[in-house]
Amino acid sequence: MKILIVEDEPKTGAYLKQGLSEAGFVTDLARDGWEGLQLAKEGHYDLIILDVMLPGLDGWQVLEGLRRAGIEGPVLFLTARDQVEDRVKGLELGADDYLVKPFAFAELLARARTLMRRGQAGLEAAVLRVGDLELDLLRRRATRAGRRIDLTAKEFALLELFLRRKGEVLPRSLIASQVWDMNFDSDTNVIDVAIRRLRVKIDDGFESKLIHTVRGMGYVLENDLENQT
Amino acid sequence: MEAHFEEEDHHELNGKLDLIQNLFRHASSQRELDRLPQQLDDALVGHHGLAVVVTDGTGNIWFATSGADFPHRLLQVCQARPAACTEETLHQWQKNGVSNRGIAASITAGDGTPYIVALVQDIQHHELFMDTFRSLLGIAIALAALATASLGWAVTRWGLSPLRKVTDTVAGISAERLGARLPSAGLPAELMPLATAFNAMLARLDDAFRRLSEFSSNIAHELRTPISNLMTQTQVALSTARNSDEYKEILYSSLEEYERMAQMVGDMLYLAQADNGLLRPGLETVDLSSETTNLFDYFEAWAEERGVSLLQTGSASVPGDRLMLRRALSNLISNAIRHTPQGHTVRVTLETPGDKAVVVVENPGPEIPAGHIPRLFDRFYRVDPSRERKSDGAGLGLAIVKSIVEAHGGVLSVTSANGVTRFQLTLPMPGG
Repeated sequence: MKILIVEDEPKTGAYLKQGLSEAGFVTDLARDGWEGLQLAKEGHYDLIILDVMLPGLDGWQVLEGLRRAGIEGPVLFLTARDQVEDRVKGLELGADDYLVKPFAFAELLARARTLMRRGQAGLEAAVLRVGDLELDLLRRRATRAGRRIDLTAKEFALLELFLRRKGEVLPRSLIASQVWDMNFDSDTNVIDVAIRRLRVKIDDGFESKLIHTVRGMGYVLENDLENQT
Repeated sequence: MEAHFEEEDHHELNGKLDLIQNLFRHASSQRELDRLPQQLDDALVGHHGLAVVVTDGTGNIWFATSGADFPHRLLQVCQARPAACTEETLHQWQKNGVSNRGIAASITAGDGTPYIVALVQDIQHHELFMDTFRSLLGIAIALAALATASLGWAVTRWGLSPLRKVTDTVAGISAERLGARLPSAGLPAELMPLATAFNAMLARLDDAFRRLSEFSSNIAHELRTPISNLMTQTQVALSTARNSDEYKEILYSSLEEYERMAQMVGDMLYLAQADNGLLRPGLETVDLSSETTNLFDYFEAWAEERGVSLLQTGSASVPGDRLMLRRALSNLISNAIRHTPQGHTVRVTLETPGDKAVVVVENPGPEIPAGHIPRLFDRFYRVDPSRERKSDGAGLGLAIVKSIVEAHGGVLSVTSANGVTRFQLTLPMPGG
């Protein structure tokens, strides 16, 4: 998976590149709009992360140039200007998503994965599995090691999100927006409580734990045994 | 005036002409004709400035009053063009700086002899009168204008003196001296509403400025604390060699601090947008009861863990922005849950009395002291300044609620009595 980062702020650019590389992506970094547009036209990128405020061409102009050149790949905007007009403009021009600076890196990673997954429509599995945990989407039933687990509707949705994106660190804000449709930061620890309760139901009494806390980032669903092999 | 004199002169000359004509008409014998000059003299005596000349058919002067040399010109005109010589035509001319008016006419004596009579009136006295009249009128007008102007100036000055006082006060007001007020004593009734409105405006400005400066110092304070934490922590961390777990721990601790700052900056930006009128709510229909249900769903686990139950009654829909209203409700509900003692219930009641929707979020718990109520929605305002920062966000939640409600044209109010704190959100519901 190849990602192009167009970012003029040296520190931000370097950290984004390092972070995404360490997350397993191939990354290129462009320092201004012209270079970004040039690279984007030559390389085949699965995602372009585009800063709005750039020297030379700004982010909007780069996006316009890309769409004119027939490059339809997903574009994620980074904007420091938390203004409604900017969002509207970006989405009208065909940006696929945007993040307002400052953002959590885990959030960027999660959104980037979502955007890149969009292109590849996989078969809708009826049953999701990790280790000995099974989630039957049609019958809305969860079992672990053959034992039935009673979940509320929201707990089911939460577990489904974890299973669909197993191995990915999910930030709290993403969980809140995907499961509860709450698109703003709350100063409460609602998500932590909800996950704690889900953990009690699926991990308590089992040797291997599935849901893990990634400090400072969020939560991840992983089978320790699978990882070891 | 001029025309009036002209008409008067014409009339008078015609009168004299009639008189002369009459005398001639009755003179039917030579003897009577011979007596005519004497009769004419008698008739015309005492008429100052009037000259009469009579000529016979051949143009010889038959009679002339003394000093009547000037009507000759008139007679010449008459002989040349008899048609112009009727009593209807008033001639006017100047000679040697003297203005004259005259008429000429053909008359017939009693025996049928034709004569031409010219009467000329010296109108110098009219001119004199007109001149005097003109200059008098000019002086009078000038005096009247002067009097009007000075009187007007005095009256205006006197009438506007309260306004000048007001102006002086207003000129002395600056951002540093917003405490000044207009003196209401001694103002005329017309200016009282102005002064009252102006003072009210000053009070609002004063309040807004005070809040703004407090806001600025609060921002500085709120940012200084985490920044100084981060600096100290980093300096301590760097002061000696540590193992990687310890570094990791320090980075995690920093991350938490950064996240809190980022959220605070995000909230402040949101409020700044509200201040600049950039929060423009959409106008979809928002079902407040289903929003409340969703929020209860979201907060359920958290509330349950705190031993707080949630109860919802009633329903209401308003035109507005779903995301913004949800955020406002979320802040109120999380705030209520946070301040409810274990074993108690947070109630959300929706009502639609008349053309508005009323949302009440109430929770039992410690009352908010009355002194804090008016400032509860101020940014960074905390009832308990010593309260642990982590549990209470940055103190911007209620300010955001207020901004959202006001962007929707609604009103947010709060009461706290009898062990119950009650936030009421009133939203307009046009046509509802």
